[in-house]
Amino acid sequence: MHHFRFSQRTVAAVLGVLAVAYTVQAYRIPEFAAVQVPVQPGTLPRGLGLLLIVLCLALFLQKPAPKTAEPSEPTERDRSVDKAGTAGTAETAGTAEATTAPARRPALGRLADARLELAVLLGAIALYVLLFEPLGFVPATALFVTGTAWYLGFGRHWVNALVGVGVAAALYLGMSEGLDVALPTGILPL
Amino acid sequence: MDALNQLFHGFGVALSPQNLAFVFLGVLMGTVIGMLPGLGPISAISLMIPVAFTMDPTSAIIMLAGVYYGAIFGGSTSSILLNAPGVAGTVATSFDGYPLARKGQAGKALSVAAIASFVGGTVGVVGLMLVAPSLSALTVSFGPAEYFALMVLGLTAVVTLSGNNLTKGLISGTVGVMIALVGIDSQTSTLRFTFGRHELYEGVEFLIVALGVFALAEVFVMLLRRGQGGGDGTITSLRLSRRELKEISGPTGRGSVLGFFTGVLPGAGATVASFLSYSFEKRLAKDGKTFGKGNIKGVAAPESANNGAAVGSFVPLLTLGVPGSGTTAVLLGALLVLGVQPGPLLLDEQPDMFWGVVASMYIGNIVLLILNLPLIPLFAKVLKTPQALLLPLVVVFCVVGVYGHSFSTFDLWMLIGFGVLGFLMRANGFPAAPLILGLILGGLMEKSMRQALLISSGDLTTFVTKPISATLLALAALSLLAPLYGAWRRTRRRQGLSEDDGRGQDEQPKATVGGTQERENG
Amino acid sequence: MFRAGRRGSRAAVAAVAAGSVSLLLAACGEGAGAASGGGDWKPTKPIEYVAPANTGGGWDTLARSSARVLDKAGLVNRPMRVVNKPGAGGAIGWSYIAKHQKDPHKLFVTSPPILLVPLAGESGQTYRDFTPVARLNTEPLAYVVKADSPFKTFEDLAAKLKADPGKVSVAGGSGPGSLDHVGLAGAVQAAGADASKVKYVPFDGGGEALTSLLGGHTDVAVAGGSEVQALVRSGDVRALAVSSEKRSPILPDTPTLAESGIDYVFDIWRGVMAPKGLTEEQIAYYEKAFEKMVEHDSWKKESKKLGWTNSYLGSEEFGKFLDEQNKEYAGILTEVGLRK
Repeated sequence: MHHFRFSQRTVAAVLGVLAVAYTVQAYRIPEFAAVQVPVQPGTLPRGLGLLLIVLCLALFLQKPAPKTAEPSEPTERDRSVDKAGTAGTAETAGTAEATTAPARRPALGRLADARLELAVLLGAIALYVLLFEPLGFVPATALFVTGTAWYLGFGRHWVNALVGVGVAAALYLGMSEGLDVALPTGILPL
Repeated sequence: MDALNQLFHGFGVALSPQNLAFVFLGVLMGTVIGMLPGLGPISAISLMIPVAFTMDPTSAIIMLAGVYYGAIFGGSTSSILLNAPGVAGTVATSFDGYPLARKGQAGKALSVAAIASFVGGTVGVVGLMLVAPSLSALTVSFGPAEYFALMVLGLTAVVTLSGNNLTKGLISGTVGVMIALVGIDSQTSTLRFTFGRHELYEGVEFLIVALGVFALAEVFVMLLRRGQGGGDGTITSLRLSRRELKEISGPTGRGSVLGFFTGVLPGAGATVASFLSYSFEKRLAKDGKTFGKGNIKGVAAPESANNGAAVGSFVPLLTLGVPGSGTTAVLLGALLVLGVQPGPLLLDEQPDMFWGVVASMYIGNIVLLILNLPLIPLFAKVLKTPQALLLPLVVVFCVVGVYGHSFSTFDLWMLIGFGVLGFLMRANGFPAAPLILGLILGGLMEKSMRQALLISSGDLTTFVTKPISATLLALAALSLLAPLYGAWRRTRRRQGLSEDDGRGQDEQPKATVGGTQERENG
Repeated sequence: MFRAGRRGSRAAVAAVAAGSVSLLLAACGEGAGAASGGGDWKPTKPIEYVAPANTGGGWDTLARSSARVLDKAGLVNRPMRVVNKPGAGGAIGWSYIAKHQKDPHKLFVTSPPILLVPLAGESGQTYRDFTPVARLNTEPLAYVVKADSPFKTFEDLAAKLKADPGKVSVAGGSGPGSLDHVGLAGAVQAAGADASKVKYVPFDGGGEALTSLLGGHTDVAVAGGSEVQALVRSGDVRALAVSSEKRSPILPDTPTLAESGIDYVFDIWRGVMAPKGLTEEQIAYYEKAFEKMVEHDSWKKESKKLGWTNSYLGSEEFGKFLDEQNKEYAGILTEVGLRK
């Protein structure tokens, strides 16, 4: 997670720029003149924008707290161990071995760089959302669950495929038929 | 004594085999639907309405009420297990419930939630029975000025929820209020920060933010932890010790009462109640610093409050015929069609109905407890799912919850955006709870402030000349000054000292908060 | 100006109708000429029935109760699925519908805001962007005060509003320029006071407005007749007047504005519209369904409980009626200064 931790000044500066942009936008909210109102629609946004600018300034000037290690982040050592474990699970594990202890606590992912790993997951979610309506809920969900779980190192491929399709179908039936909440049907002639 | 007689009569109504079956059906449906992220009591009730219309009015309302508090009850399960609030009112439950689950104490957290919910619901029913008619006076005593003061008091909890860096907490809270103001302004119909997007006219749906900032961000964090650090499925303790029971008795009792009274106010509801109760207990507890890291009191407080509030919201509905929330509004519509006209005359004209409902609520709460306690080990097993599989499944649940609300992929993109935002906030030590709090209370605060000033022709003294409003504002000032003073002292003390608390800050944002939707989840 | 009501304009219907035929043709897709048969088209999937308001409000109740009757009586061959699209006095729901032109599986419930909100310049769409399907019923607005209020009649209120408008706050359940406000402004203006000076406080729905009235936070409330019914009966509030032409069956003891000497009529009418560009067969299908629905016993029963008076109009007549109402509202909003 340390890759995503920026210096307090950088954060404050970026937020400050956003705050200024927000405030400018707030001042462009038109006055409401038709009926007399004591508080204009723009009043509170303007105040909030200015407050945020002040807070960003304060954060910028504040002495950063002493740097602490992300407590739950695995150390480099842990990670290399994980990686080995992943490779093992993915390549060799048959269904039988997968039920053993190391497979029940699988290490996640395949790439050493956390940033890339996160990008892959985000990409997968984005693809899921993109395909959600055109492809339909059931195929898109089954693909997403199975694909992502496989990538992350879930070794029992048959179980994986069954869970992906099963959850997708069950959710679809439950929502569309049971709850009257229509999920996209997409390519399936449902 | 008369009331007691009436209540006995009510039990007679509620205990008929047919009505018992409907209570059971109602709470069961409610619990199940409440567990699904994004689907709250409104969805649950709307679903059951067609069934209700085929029934006799008393049975129907008994069942629908069961669906309502069943949904609030069930919502805590997904909050605790997945950090994905099933119902807006249970967001605060995940603040401590989820950390407990990660420590392998999911069973304990679920048990605390079930017991606290039961107590909250039961206290609420006792309140409803004893004081409902006189409470309608409390309901109407809150005008715009009073609501404004209540919201300000609620917003002071930003300080409590800020962790160690107050500036970051305040920034988070400010951004939350900013998000609340997106959309068409209710007072003047002016467009604000909609950037020409129709999807934003309605504002940003609370649950999208909550699911993104908490559940989705947690998915990203889980990935970066590479499956380390908890949530590994070892479930150590299901049972509560005597000491633990004693520990939660205070927060549960206070939360129930606070929740009930908050629920009596139209527009405030379960979400606001759960937040007020959580931040109140955090302040009150000697071990307040461990709130947010898996303290069972932090589960008991919001859970008792949201269930108390759910029952409390029946006061304005039954005694004034005025819905206090989106959910009770749906109920009101259903009652009217069933030929029941709630209002001041209901108690005189249809006592069977009123007392039958009250009695059924006692029974419903017991049914909920009996239904849920044995299922807890089963629910807790969810966490045994290998993380590689659990992770995409959580994403799917969030997506379904959001899409099922608005049928809009735009909202799904927002969900991803808030997920990234929540993740970056956690990585950089910004607590997420204040953001959610600002989002819930900010819009209500602005609206009631403007209404109050419109009524007073712009005279600001209206907030301090009204006794309730003045009291609440004084409480707000007090609750602001006390922790500020504490924070100042702590900073003094910490200078040069170790970083022991730095961790707390990173843990804190994990919390989830519960929402308004009272607009939706009332 | 304000006497328009339905009386005044009824005479003009013929003229308006002639003038607006072309408009209607545009609005109704291919026009009403060749009604070759409504059975040609049937819905092929569940019908999304939009209530452009939160659950529990007037639109929501209308959508849910009509959907129920349509489903139960088998008047539609696919289920009606009520969807709430609340916000901005309806504009959000409308923009949603407008995005689905020619989609015959979407309908929405409608009432005066479909005219008022666009007139105030607060919606990207006007009623002409949709296809009228049917008008179903009407209900009066009620002007109510707390039981201990010094205002005994609407004249008392009008007098105070003329003399000292800044001293009276009026709660309503919708934003400025929307239904409750116009119903109030029209009556106030007709009574000879300056409606733009009245302190109108918008709340989220009639329930909140009435709560603020009961607590004494506001002096007067404007709300639908059915919303105040229970409180009037219990004596907690007093209805000064109803806005309908005749006394309403739900508030039989409350005088009309006309009886109070104010020449103004305002009805909350409710109906159903569809996206633009539906074919004639599609319109006919729904028109027929709703025409049968209003005659159905369970609909009549529910209407009675909810305080609605049946007043069915088919697609074409409803379109004409909308043109006529639009003109009238435009006049009021211009006078109050809310027309954009």
